[in-house]
Amino acid sequence: MSQIEIVIDEKKYAAQEGLLLIDLLIREGLKVPYFCYHEALGADGNCRMCMVEIEGQKRPQIACDTNIKEGMIVRTKGQMIESVRRRILELELINHPVDCAICDQAGECKLQDFYMDYGLYDSKIDQAEKVHHKKHIDLGSNVMLDQERCVLCARCTRFTSDITKTHELGIVGRGDHARVTTMPGKKLDNPYAMNVVDLCPVGALTSKDFRFAQRVWFLTSTPSVCHGCAKGCNIFIDHNKEKYKDERIYRFRPRPNADVNGYFICDAGRLSYKELQENRQLEMLIDGMVSKEDEAVACYHKLVADGGKIVILADANLYTEELEAIQKYAHILGAQLCAPLESYRDESFGDDWLKSSQRAANAKGVEKLGIAQILSTDPVALLINFNHPDGSKIKAQKSIHLQTHQMEGKADLVLPLAPFSESSGTLVNEDGIEQFCPKAIWRNEPLMSAIEWIDLLQGGER
Amino acid sequence: MSRKIKVVPRYGSNIKDKLYLPAIYQGMKVTFKHLMANVADSNAIETLEYPEEQPSDITQRYRGLHRLTHREDESIACVACFMCATACPARCIFIEAVEREDGRDEKMPKRFAIDTLECVFCGYCVEACPCDAIRMDTGIFSLIGSSREDFVLEKEQLLAHKGAFGEEKSCARK
Repeated sequence: MSQIEIVIDEKKYAAQEGLLLIDLLIREGLKVPYFCYHEALGADGNCRMCMVEIEGQKRPQIACDTNIKEGMIVRTKGQMIESVRRRILELELINHPVDCAICDQAGECKLQDFYMDYGLYDSKIDQAEKVHHKKHIDLGSNVMLDQERCVLCARCTRFTSDITKTHELGIVGRGDHARVTTMPGKKLDNPYAMNVVDLCPVGALTSKDFRFAQRVWFLTSTPSVCHGCAKGCNIFIDHNKEKYKDERIYRFRPRPNADVNGYFICDAGRLSYKELQENRQLEMLIDGMVSKEDEAVACYHKLVADGGKIVILADANLYTEELEAIQKYAHILGAQLCAPLESYRDESFGDDWLKSSQRAANAKGVEKLGIAQILSTDPVALLINFNHPDGSKIKAQKSIHLQTHQMEGKADLVLPLAPFSESSGTLVNEDGIEQFCPKAIWRNEPLMSAIEWIDLLQGGER
Repeated sequence: MSRKIKVVPRYGSNIKDKLYLPAIYQGMKVTFKHLMANVADSNAIETLEYPEEQPSDITQRYRGLHRLTHREDESIACVACFMCATACPARCIFIEAVEREDGRDEKMPKRFAIDTLECVFCGYCVEACPCDAIRMDTGIFSLIGSSREDFVLEKEQLLAHKGAFGEEKSCARK
């Protein structure tokens, strides 16, 4: 395909011949409304919102089904095209219940956005005259369906037919009676089902998990990487700190990255924010008793000074920077460092798409740093465990656990550790792609990361 | 959309204004006029012997304590859309939403609390409400409590407040 030039709104753009016009418009940040088109699903051409004027064509054309040709002159603005869009939008909204007040999509809804951009007309239809469908249907897999709010863009049905190939969703009925539904008695059931919630441009498909939890305009999105497995899917952490409360994560959303996860994440990863916030280790414990920081540090130094063989276990979910710091620290202590990756393997989890059987997010990072994975069988005097799940399985005379979550088993000293959302660092996914995660959550009483703990334990200031 | 802009002339650039003295004289004239009149006849001073005497000039537009309105079947009108909490400049409205099971709408507040100590009584919540579910037409202007917590009005208290001007039910949610 050759490089050509086309004119859009009196400006020249370079593009590849044959590329979809809508892709160019999206890439160049030119405003174009659309419901049915999606980069991952391709063009369907059913919503008719992306109309543009093309010189030489009698009628406006849809940008999602137009290939770019040499010498094309396109207009995306102007009275004519805007009146066309307004009328199409009015048709889309004709039976819409306009229940934005109770709709979770409000604030990130394409109907709202386009109405503010192109609509702003007074409704000609009374609420009582509108065609009514079923509301709040539980489709299964944490997805709620509201048939009235649907604009029939078919993104969800194309997702189940083209991407997951599970074919649960379909559109039945004609005209006003057309609606999205599943087969009678069947549920939406696949490990990627909740992606239809993100795909839905309106409030027809919403998440049961996020239902009524927050209004989206209160949420702050921080880019991050899912720690559910070694795939390293890119996510947004949506969090909010309510007045007088601590900061909380309310949902994970997929963040597009063509090299890793495309536009989607699996449901297990999406819901992993819950585990992240439950059962947290927040206190320092000496022999199971809550203690203060100076006592805990003194206890730590005493345990280390007692001598004998020290083994440090490191979690393969820690950031590379943290692993490096632990590696250096192990060298200073003369301890043996080990991060068994076998403990994270879960053959029942993986598939051939976005789920990996290696459930440690930074397994590749551990390999790259050359951290040993097999522990020697010598008796261990002191175990220092940085959040590795096998901490309690290793027999040691004394043990110190730095952990993000409460774990079973006894330890002489337990120190709370900040989980990935509360610190920052780099992960290496299973394909060797390095990805940086900034700190997302700022707790009222912040916990220390592995690096900060090592600093403190080596005599640094907190 | 073109904005409506009213250009206001800038005053105070002439010598008379810059001197300030004529303006001070004008002000003091008014002050002393009242002082003289009040000293001459102290019984004519307009006062209200509160709390024995209650104000009689509270109108429908007065922004009193908040209330949550009801529907015709006495159920709560609020759908927990958070518009009031979003509009609130004092961030003193605390809402927790929950699924509504009685078939009227889908959503309702599990908790709806207003911290009246933080509230600035601006009335933005009333303006923002799409359901006419929150009003400030109770005519209540004093609230008494013995602890800070007493001033955090919960949903039940807000629902119990009556409108002082006849309109009891929500006009937007039947």
